[in-house]
Amino acid sequence: MMASSYNAKEEDGHHSGASGPGGAAAKSKKPDNTAFKQQRLPAWQPILTAGTVLPAFFVIGLIFIPIGIGLYVTSNNIKEFEIDYTGIDMSSPCFNCSQNFSWNSTKPCKCSLPFSLDQPFESNVFVYYGLSNFYQNHRRYVKSRDDSQLNGDLFSLTHPSKECEPYRTGSDNKPIAPCGAIANSMFNDTLELYYIDPNETRTLIPLVKKGIAWWTDKHVKFRNPGGNNSNLTASFQGNSKPVNWNKPAYELDADPENNGFINEDFIVWMRTAALPTFRKLYRIIQRKNNMTPTLPRGNYTLEVTYNYPVRSFEGRKRMILSTISWMGGKNPFLGIAYITVGSVCFFLGVVLLIIHHKYGNRSNNSDIPN
Amino acid sequence: MCKFLRYFFYKNFAFTLVHFWYSFFSGFSSQVAYEDWFITLYIVCYSSLPVLLVGLLDQDVGDKLSLKFPKLYLPGQQGSLFNYKNFFISLCHGIFTSLIIFFIPYGAFLQTMGQDGKAPSDYQSFAVVTASSLIITVNLQISLDTSYWTFVNCFAVLGSIAIYFGIMFDIHSAGIHVLFPSAFTFTGVASNALRQPYLWLTIILTVGISLLPVICIQFLYKTLQPSVGDKVQRNRRKYEAEEEEKKKPTPFQRGRRSRRSAYAFSHSQGYADLIASGRSFRQRPQGRRNPQESIREAPQAENI
Repeated sequence: MMASSYNAKEEDGHHSGASGPGGAAAKSKKPDNTAFKQQRLPAWQPILTAGTVLPAFFVIGLIFIPIGIGLYVTSNNIKEFEIDYTGIDMSSPCFNCSQNFSWNSTKPCKCSLPFSLDQPFESNVFVYYGLSNFYQNHRRYVKSRDDSQLNGDLFSLTHPSKECEPYRTGSDNKPIAPCGAIANSMFNDTLELYYIDPNETRTLIPLVKKGIAWWTDKHVKFRNPGGNNSNLTASFQGNSKPVNWNKPAYELDADPENNGFINEDFIVWMRTAALPTFRKLYRIIQRKNNMTPTLPRGNYTLEVTYNYPVRSFEGRKRMILSTISWMGGKNPFLGIAYITVGSVCFFLGVVLLIIHHKYGNRSNNSDIPN
Repeated sequence: MCKFLRYFFYKNFAFTLVHFWYSFFSGFSSQVAYEDWFITLYIVCYSSLPVLLVGLLDQDVGDKLSLKFPKLYLPGQQGSLFNYKNFFISLCHGIFTSLIIFFIPYGAFLQTMGQDGKAPSDYQSFAVVTASSLIITVNLQISLDTSYWTFVNCFAVLGSIAIYFGIMFDIHSAGIHVLFPSAFTFTGVASNALRQPYLWLTIILTVGISLLPVICIQFLYKTLQPSVGDKVQRNRRKYEAEEEEKKKPTPFQRGRRSRRSAYAFSHSQGYADLIASGRSFRQRPQGRRNPQESIREAPQAENI
C-alpha cells in the first residue's frame, strides 16, 4: 500500500497541505508567515536602566552649563542703549509733538533728545526703532495685505485682494497700492543722530539705509510692478496712496532701487512681528576702521521728526543702538535658561543616583511568580 | 494600543494649546502660531506614521515570555493602561509640553536680533522655531515610548523629521512663491531663521526641557514601583535563556511509551495522523477480560 492521498481532515480537524489531488483545501485566512506579519522582526529592545539614564543626565548637565555660560557672557559683552522718545512726561522734549499731533499738519513736528554713551561702541552699530503695545500679530491685521500685489502682479495692482478691506480703495475710488492695514500703518518717523564732541560741534553720524531687509524679501517676495527699470510713477498711475501715508509709494526714495515696493523700510515694516513689543532695524552705522570706535564715548543728540502717533493706544516708541555678536543681540534669557536647566539636570542626576543606590537593588530581587 | 491612544492625545494637546498661550500675546485674536501649511500637514504627515507603527508593531514583552507570565495579562483585565487617570496624565503632559514649546521661544524672541543685525523676531521665524521644536519633541517622545525598536520604527521617526524639514524648505523656497504668491507667503523664512545658531540653541533647549522630566519620571517609576511588565523586561534575557533550556529535548528517549509512529515518509505527509488517531488498533470485544483471567477460567470449565 503506497501512501496516497489520505485525508485526515475528519479526524484531526485541520486542513492538509497541498499534497495530492484531493487535498485542495479552502482558502486559508491565516496571515502569511513573514517576519513583518508575524511580528518577528529583528528588534532592539532598550530599557531605561540606571546605566543609561544617569550618565545621560550628567552629560547633558555638563554640556548645557558651558553653553549657558557662553551665551550669558556673550550677551553681557554686547553693548546696547535704549531711549524712549514717546513724550509722555511733560518734561520730555517730545511732549509737545505727541500732544499736538494731527494727520493734516503740513509742518512736521521735530524734537531732539540728548543722551550720552558711557562706553564706546565698536564694529558695526545697528539702529533700531522699537514699539510697544503694538499688536502686529493680530489676526485681522496680519491678513490685511495682498502678496500678489507686492510681488508686482499687474492684475492685483488694479484689483487688490478683498482681505485688504477697508484699506482697499481710496477716497477717489482708485485701488490703493500697497493695500492693507499693515502697509497703511507704516512707521514714518525719521531719526537722526548727531555726535557732540568736547568742542561743542555737532557732527551728523552717517546712517546707511541699504541692507536692512532680508535678501529673499527684497529680491523675491517684493517686486515692483512693471519690472526693474520701469517708470514707477507711470506704473502706479491708476492707484492712490494708502490713506495715512504722506507720500505715494513711488516717492519713498529717490534711488530707484529703493523706491516703490522694494523700499527697504517698507519691506522691514511689512515683515510683521511676533509679539506686541518688538524692534525693527532702521539704519546701520558702518564701522570706520579698526582703530577708532564707531561710536566713541560722549554726548549725542537724537533728532526725531515725529510723524507716528502712538498715544491713542498707549504705545511707546524707542530708539535702540546695539552691537551684534554671533548670537545676535543682547538677550540674557537663553544663557540663564541653559545654565538653569544644566544645573537642574546635574542635580537630578545626583538625586537619581542616590535613589537608585538605595532602592534600585531592592526591587531587582523580587521575582515574579509564574 | 493604549500607548497609541495616550500618545495621540498628548501630541494633539501639545500642538493645539500653543495657540492658546499665544493668544494672550496676540490680542486674543486667534492668530495661529504656526504656518497654515504646517497645521494641515502636522496630523497627516509629520507625526502619524511613527505612532501607527507603535500601535501595530510594539511589544513590551515577547510572545513566549507573555505565555510564561500570565500575570502580565492583569493590567489588561483591570483596565489600568487607559482610563480617566491616564487620559488626565496625557492631558497634563500635553499642557506642560505646549507651555515649554511656547514660552522658551517667547523668551528668546523677546528682544533678539539676528547674526547680521536684521531682526529675526518676526512672526514667521517664530512660527518656524515653534513648529520645529514641536516636531522634534513629539518624535523623540514617541521614540522614548517605543519598547520594540525595529528598522521600520527607526525609519518612521527619522523619516518624519526629515520630511518635515524637506517640505518646509520647499514651501519656503523662492520658486514656489513665484508660482503661487498668495498661497505660500513664508518665502525665505526657513533658510533665514534656521541659519542662526541662536535659534537652533533655542530649539535644543526646548526639546531638552520637554523630554528630560519624562525620562526622569519614567526612570523613577521603574526603579521604585516597577510593574510586572517592567520586571519581565529587565530580566528578559535571563527568562528567555531559561525558556530555551526547557525546550531543548533530552537526547535519549529509552523506554518511552508513546503513540508516536516511527513510520515516516519524507516526501509526503505519511501515516502519522492515521496511526496516532488509534484507528488502526484492534478493537477489543465488549466484556472480554484481560488475558490472565481468561486463561484461568478455561481450565476451571474443563474440570467441572
